Amino acid sequence: MNIDLSEALDTKYGRSGLSCEVGPDAVELGEEHVLTIPNVPRPDKFLSDSFKGQEAEVLKFAHGTTTLAFVFKHGIIAAVDSRASMGVYIGSGTVKKIIEINPFLLGTMAGGAADCSFWERDLGRQCRLFELRNKERISVAAASKLLVNSVSRFRGMGLSMGTMIMGWDKTGPALFYVDNDGTRLKGNLFSVGSGSTFAMGVLDIGYKYDLSVEEACELGRRSIYHATHRDGASGGIINIYHVGEDGWTKISSEDSAQKHYQYKAESTEQASAPMVTS
Amino acid sequence: MFLTRSEYDRGVNTFSPEGRLFQVEYAIEAIKEGSTAIGIRTSEGVVLAVEKRLTSPLLEPSSVEKIMIIDHHMGCANSGLSADARILIDHARVVTQHHTFTYNEPMTTDSCAQAVCDLALRFGEDGREEDAMSRPFGVALLIAGVDEKGPALYHTDPSGTYVRWEAKAIGAGSEGAQTALQDAYSKMMTLEEAETLALKTLKQVMEEKLNSTNVEIAAVTAKDRKFRIYSSEELNQCIERL
Amino acid sequence: MMDFGTPVLEPGSANGTKQVPQFNPYQDNGGTVASIAGDDYVIVAADTRFTLGYSIPTRKISRVLKINDKVMLGTAGMQADTCALHKVISTRMRMYEHDNNKRMTFNAVSQMLSTVLYYKRFFPYYTFNIVAGLDDKGEGWVCGYDAIGSFEQRKIVCNGAGTKLMQPVFDNQVDWAQSWDGAGKPNLSLEQATDLMKDAFTSAAEREITVGDTLQIYKITKDGIQLEEFELKKD
Repeated sequence: MNIDLSEALDTKYGRSGLSCEVGPDAVELGEEHVLTIPNVPRPDKFLSDSFKGQEAEVLKFAHGTTTLAFVFKHGIIAAVDSRASMGVYIGSGTVKKIIEINPFLLGTMAGGAADCSFWERDLGRQCRLFELRNKERISVAAASKLLVNSVSRFRGMGLSMGTMIMGWDKTGPALFYVDNDGTRLKGNLFSVGSGSTFAMGVLDIGYKYDLSVEEACELGRRSIYHATHRDGASGGIINIYHVGEDGWTKISSEDSAQKHYQYKAESTEQASAPMVTS
Repeated sequence: MFLTRSEYDRGVNTFSPEGRLFQVEYAIEAIKEGSTAIGIRTSEGVVLAVEKRLTSPLLEPSSVEKIMIIDHHMGCANSGLSADARILIDHARVVTQHHTFTYNEPMTTDSCAQAVCDLALRFGEDGREEDAMSRPFGVALLIAGVDEKGPALYHTDPSGTYVRWEAKAIGAGSEGAQTALQDAYSKMMTLEEAETLALKTLKQVMEEKLNSTNVEIAAVTAKDRKFRIYSSEELNQCIERL
Repeated sequence: MMDFGTPVLEPGSANGTKQVPQFNPYQDNGGTVASIAGDDYVIVAADTRFTLGYSIPTRKISRVLKINDKVMLGTAGMQADTCALHKVISTRMRMYEHDNNKRMTFNAVSQMLSTVLYYKRFFPYYTFNIVAGLDDKGEGWVCGYDAIGSFEQRKIVCNGAGTKLMQPVFDNQVDWAQSWDGAGKPNLSLEQATDLMKDAFTSAAEREITVGDTLQIYKITKDGIQLEEFELKKD
């Protein structure tokens, strides 16, 4: 049983949009361009059944994460950690969890690393085709819809992806949350991953629409730092991106461990300073 | 003209006793009805110039697309049935994007020309309803691109043949234009000289007077590997040099 | 390890249970692959032990595939999937050469492997891969993958059974992870990297039953690929 991936993978000329034929009738372009589905009654349970009672690494893809993004006066800030854990083993401490889809679109990575990077890469391809065919950039709303359509075809089959798609289009800054259940939400503030509750706590206290770019970056950085401090599955490098009218820019990439001592020093300084009373 | 060829020109799958495929030859004839397009390769890049046939003053010139972008580093001009061109070019776009997706690198001009011709050649194949192709594509393309081997110009035709050229003309005025190019072309040309030569040649073979609305010009340069269709100001500058 | 047709009782049929045959298509054959990349070289190392549970059916299998003079692929995990994957990659590599009239670069191979692995997202190759090679400028790099194609380009990667034992040593000796500012970080020569690799595998073989027998070290430089074999413990 095969599922045809998308129109890029079929050479049927002149057909735009997605072909999502599931089953043996799917148009094939050679084995290598098709997602193979195991021929069993419950393909969604296939992996967990195969590894029942085994300590199998195959099931452990990168999972723990803290990612956040919010809209404010001067655009959007995205902030993420960089830890990929496979169970309790840290698979990597230097993962790039902000995916540069194109110069105007960013996506974040939470859930399965391969699922996120593959489908957001595929989204980049679809957005580029849209651009070539329509001679204008795709809106963030449309881009996030393309992504949700892609993953919805595999709903219930074990994909794991919780992502925020953000960018600047004709309507200004736009931020969407998309996940593997097919959820797609427009919003001003999201945080995703195992450390998201910690991050959200800090974020909610400091968030104001009128923040300057610098203040907003620091708020994102601090929120991620606190998540790396209390969530074992988050850690490593804190990456910050800013989305403005002219596309995104990478703001900073700092070690959360170093941040810890910096913040600690700052708070001791404040505590020892004479209290100002009015 | 072709009356004597009957019997062997009904299907695309039948050779004549002389070993010819008449339907393919007729498709090539269709291109000779099309507007003229010229491509010139230099070491600095490739220039494409086309004539736009504006059959009525009420026609909106910008909606006539004779030059299209395939990817950042590649584009093409067409002559013949422009409806068929759209399908081939969309295929080229899908294929180049798929290549970038799979290999994280831009596709070479050669591979793209090959991919387009793979589709052009599928006219004889059986297919399910949606795939079935009843006739060859009646269009020729001039594909211009830059890759690690430098600038390249390819010509594709309805038979699925693709060949590399230094300078090539297609369409109604192609015979005269090709001779003119052969006389004037030099390997040492700059991109600017190629722009001028392309427009000059186009001017010779066009029935109407050449102006900034009835021609279009584009170039891909070796330096920045970007394919760009010229704005009307840039086009006017080129015309003024004539 | 292999379960063929073990019947499992499931509720639902007329008498309250029905028999559903179970089949586990995977087995773990151990093995470790590792790679250290330098400014003008990259080395790929893999042990040759093949395990099945606690037994060692053979001591001499290769886990490394030469893609071309500049790029190699190392695979740990299940041997049958390794063979299948290497065959697919070889074929794709050859087709690429015919279609594009050029060699595959390190960059192209690393992205292609990711997509090849992901296309089997729902029935993965039970393999843990590294792709090591020299880039267009001649600098050494290595990409490490999970089973379904998530990958990262780095200077040092270890994958497979011995990862948990060896990676921390490499983090310390190559990445200099113990230092925040990277002061004193060594720039390993090809010889130093080779020695470190031998040490790491020797140590892993002391504690990990699936690592042992022979260590194959492929050294990729601008002059081509050289193989050095180093004997590990056979117990």
